[in-house]
Amino acid sequence: MKSRDEAFEALFKSEYARVAGIANRVLADPQEAEDVAQEVFISFHRLHSASAQFAPAWLHRAAAHTALNRVRGRKRRERRELTQAPEEASRTVDPQRMLEVGEDRRMVRAALARLAPKPAAVLVLRASGLSYAEVAQAIGVGTGQIGTLLRRAEAALRKEVTRGTSI
Amino acid sequence: MAHLSEGTLRRLVDDPDALTGSDRRHYMDCAACQARNQGMADDAHAAATLLSAPELQLDVANAFKHVQSAPAAKPRFGFSLPILRPATQQMFAVGAAAVVVALAITAFANILPLFQPKTVQPVPVTFADLQALEQLSAYGTLTWSTQPKPQIVLTAADAKTISGLDVPVVSKLPAGVSSTVTYAAMPGAVAVFTFDAKKAADAAAATGKSLPKLPSGMDGAKLTVTVGPAVVEVFGDMNAASGTGSSSQNINLPQLIVAKSAVPVVTSTQVTAKQLEDYILSMPGLSPELAAAVRSVGDPSTTLPIPVPVEYATSSKVSINGDTGVALGDNTGLGSGVIWIHKTNVFVVAGSLKQSAAVDIARNLK
Repeated sequence: MKSRDEAFEALFKSEYARVAGIANRVLADPQEAEDVAQEVFISFHRLHSASAQFAPAWLHRAAAHTALNRVRGRKRRERRELTQAPEEASRTVDPQRMLEVGEDRRMVRAALARLAPKPAAVLVLRASGLSYAEVAQAIGVGTGQIGTLLRRAEAALRKEVTRGTSI
Repeated sequence: MAHLSEGTLRRLVDDPDALTGSDRRHYMDCAACQARNQGMADDAHAAATLLSAPELQLDVANAFKHVQSAPAAKPRFGFSLPILRPATQQMFAVGAAAVVVALAITAFANILPLFQPKTVQPVPVTFADLQALEQLSAYGTLTWSTQPKPQIVLTAADAKTISGLDVPVVSKLPAGVSSTVTYAAMPGAVAVFTFDAKKAADAAAATGKSLPKLPSGMDGAKLTVTVGPAVVEVFGDMNAASGTGSSSQNINLPQLIVAKSAVPVVTSTQVTAKQLEDYILSMPGLSPELAAAVRSVGDPSTTLPIPVPVEYATSSKVSINGDTGVALGDNTGLGSGVIWIHKTNVFVVAGSLKQSAAVDIARNLK
């Protein structure tokens, strides 16, 4: 039987890359993503047993929400950036063009953070490569709901990004 | 055949084999569904592109070392009776007691904002256990950064104005329960409890008891507790509610109490939830049965333990419109109650009632 520390180390090694990946998906900042991932593991270790069945789902969800909270924490700065965005910014969503401008990555994250927590988490978790079943476990819904949630979240993101570029 | 659902079509974007036989036949023949699917595929592709991120270069071993060396800081967990005690103005205490007791031993139950408790589970306690928990007050200093301001008001509208909560409405009062209602309401309050090793030692010396040593790092640790807002409706003769001092044994339930409170949230510094749990469970006077019951509660981030005084009440699980609740049936004829969590609020219905009546009221609250 594994000790508490051994179980945590095994959990860390198996999930760290995915947890950091989820945070990076939200933040688009590898260094900050690693900060978030480590913060999430520290919180988990303090509160729960690494052998808990819910451990991966907890970590995935916490990574998404903690990273989204960090983006929301930048709200004021993001708002200032949005208002300073060049007026000639596209009013329609052109993903390729969005990525041509470095600042637009931040704008996309700000749009993501404006979504309600659940759709934002669904988008991020799925974009991070989690299966429908894993996303469902992380956010606590049935697997059958993920298609609908994902569809609505993608439509909401498109709307928010369009709104953001129209400001 | 009806068109394919949004969820089915979206899943098809990720998994071309997701359609079953009849759905597949419909899709192949339906231009509308195909067009919707194409729109969804475009949005999905756009979202994936928008959410692309710079590549991670991870050093997992180094990251693990960093996590291992992290100092204790800012875990969050639920709390708790002793800290609420200063709020107990007599009238408010009657109604609040039902809510407060439900939170009494949740100091160890971490309630992350991400994972607020969604259900309740009974944990048998003795009054000796509760008294042992009260000793926590000797371990530090309580200050309120936002004072609890319970107020007694005459109308539900006023109670809502104060608390911001919709006041539960009892659909039908059981026979014999007065329709006279007194409302109490409280905005959210924030307390800071600072652990103080010297104060604990002095308190132990004064009582001649041997209290467990504060864990390393606990001296000076602060718990910040957010409680409420809450509303309480008290039906019936308030004179019957006298004698609500600090001992739970003195609580004399009025005919009916309906209470609603936001689930409490606690943040702490220097001390982890695990340390606090171990510490509380090591307190003298706490029964091994309670400690075992608390440890068996399961995932404390989603479960609010409900202390059930074993000398006075038995408990059973009940379903309140889909939420799992704990029904307390007392063995002394004093009363009964039911407590459950719906979304982010704790609800209590209690009084001098049969258990079935309390459950019926709970299920029909509007």
